[in-house]
Amino acid sequence: MLDAHSYLLGENALVVALHTDKPSPSEQRRLFALTVSLQHSNAFLDIVPAKASVTAYLADPSQYQYWLKKAMLLWEESEEVAFNVQTHHIDAIYGGEHGPDLMDVAQRLNLSAKQVVECHSEYTYQVEFLGFLPGFAYLGTLPDPLQLPRKSTPRKQVPKGSIAIAEDLSAIYPSSSPGGWHLLGHCSHTLFDPTANPPSLFAPGDKVIFIPNKEGIC
Amino acid sequence: MLRVIKQGVMASIQDIGRFGYRHYGVCRSGALDPFAVCLANMLLDNPPHQAVIEITIGLAEFEFAQPCNFALTGGCLNAKLADRPIYPGWRYYAHAGDKLTFATSASAQRAYFTVQGGFALEPTLSSYSTDLQAGFGGHQGRALQTDDCLNYQKSSTELAPLGVKQPEYKKQVRVLKGPHCDKLPAGSFEQLINAPWTVSEVSNRMGSRFSSASLLSHNVAIATQAVHPGVIQVPPSGEPIVLLNDCQTTGGYPIVATVIDADLRMFSQLGANQQCNFVECDLTQARKASDKLSAHLAQFNLAKNNN
Repeated sequence: MLDAHSYLLGENALVVALHTDKPSPSEQRRLFALTVSLQHSNAFLDIVPAKASVTAYLADPSQYQYWLKKAMLLWEESEEVAFNVQTHHIDAIYGGEHGPDLMDVAQRLNLSAKQVVECHSEYTYQVEFLGFLPGFAYLGTLPDPLQLPRKSTPRKQVPKGSIAIAEDLSAIYPSSSPGGWHLLGHCSHTLFDPTANPPSLFAPGDKVIFIPNKEGIC
Repeated sequence: MLRVIKQGVMASIQDIGRFGYRHYGVCRSGALDPFAVCLANMLLDNPPHQAVIEITIGLAEFEFAQPCNFALTGGCLNAKLADRPIYPGWRYYAHAGDKLTFATSASAQRAYFTVQGGFALEPTLSSYSTDLQAGFGGHQGRALQTDDCLNYQKSSTELAPLGVKQPEYKKQVRVLKGPHCDKLPAGSFEQLINAPWTVSEVSNRMGSRFSSASLLSHNVAIATQAVHPGVIQVPPSGEPIVLLNDCQTTGGYPIVATVIDADLRMFSQLGANQQCNFVECDLTQARKASDKLSAHLAQFNLAKNNN
C-alpha cells in the first residue's frame, strides 16, 4: 500500500501528504528530499514542507495533472539523502526573568530546573517546518520527559527571542507576539530580518543545538 | 507628496502580495482585492502590480501637496475630492492642496487609490505590501498614521477622464470541496453549502469567521499543513474561517473547502453581520472564472489603447 497521496488544494497548491500524522525520522528526511527535488524543477512559486506533507504552489496551474503524478514518482524515488543541512548553535540563557516558566515546568514534570535545562540542551533538534510568524521554526522532537500541553491561558505578549516548549516541539519566538508556549529561556540571535537574504536564520531541515549560557541556569 | 491628515480606521500600503517566502513563515499580505490594484494602476498607465493604499472602513483624509492624476477603485466609501463626490472605477486630477476624504458605507468595506507613477517606496522581500503582523514592508512596516508623507512625481498635465467597469462584488462565493471532508462529520461540506452564513465581528485581514444557526463542530485533528488565502478551515467550535491575505502559512484545522481565486476579492467588501453563501463549483469553472477576470483586464487595456 502507498504511504502517501497527492492532491490539489484549491487551484494551484499541489500537496503530497503522508497517510500518517506522525512521520518517522526517516519519512521526515524523505519529505525534505522531496522538497529539494521539487525545488530543482523550478515549476513552483513556493514550496512549504509541514508536519507530514509538502505543499508546492504551481507557477503554471494548468500543469497540475502532470505534477500530481510526477510528485508521487519523486516521493517514491526520494531517499534519505544528505541534503545541505546547516547546524545552528544557539546561546541560551535559561531560567529567571529570561525563562519565566522554567520553575513551573520543572514542578509539573517532577524534575529540577537544572534537569529540565540539561534535557532541553543535550538534544539536537531539527527544523520540521516554519509557520505562525516569519522565521518561527517548529523544532522537533522534544525529548519525552519534557512534553506537556500548551499553557491553558496564552500570554498576550511573549518577548522576542524567547525559547519555548509545547507538546512535542520547541521553538524560539523571532518577534514578540501572543503565545501559549512555556518559556524556558532567551537568546539574542536575530532569527528573522526582512532585509537579509535569506530573511530567516532557520530553513526547513536545519539542525539546532542550544548551548546553556553561564548567566542562567546550566 | 501625499500627506495623511487622518488615518481613519486603517489605511495601509499594499500590492498584489508577497510570494516565494512562505517556507520561511512569511505570509502573502497584499490587497484583499488584487484585481482593484490592477485596475487602479491600469487607469493611470502604471505597471499593474504597483503599490496602492488600501482604505479599510473609511474615515480617512489625505492631502495632495503637488498636482497629480490618481485613480480610485474597490468599494464605494463615499469619497470626495475637494468636497466633490468621486466614484470608484475612475481616474481624477488633484490640484495642489486638494483633500481626498473617505466617509463610510454600509455596503462596502475597502477602497483603493494610487497616483500616476506610483508612490516612492522600496520593496521588501520582492513586494511593497505591508506585513502588518511582522511589521515590515509598505511604509515603515506599519499602517499609515496621521502626518505620514508619501512621495510621488507631480504631474502638471491632467489626463482625460477615464473609467473602467469593476466586476460586481457579490455575497455568493464559489468553493471547491476540501481535502478533509471524509474526516469531518458526514454532511459538513453540504451544510457549508446549504446554510446561510453570517460574517462574525472578529473577522480581519487574517480571516473571515462565519457563524450560523447550526455550526460544523467536530473533534478532528489533522497534522499541521501549509495553508493559504482562500482555504476554509474549521476549528472544533465549528465556525468556518475563510483564510485571507494575512493568514499564517501553516494551519492545523481540517479544511472543508477552498474559495476559488476569482471570488476571494468578495471578502474585501464583506463586513461584520453581513450574510454570505457558499456555492460548490469544480476546477474547470474556477479556472474559467479566473480567465474571465484576466480577459476583463486585457479588454480594458485594449480599449484604453485604442482611444
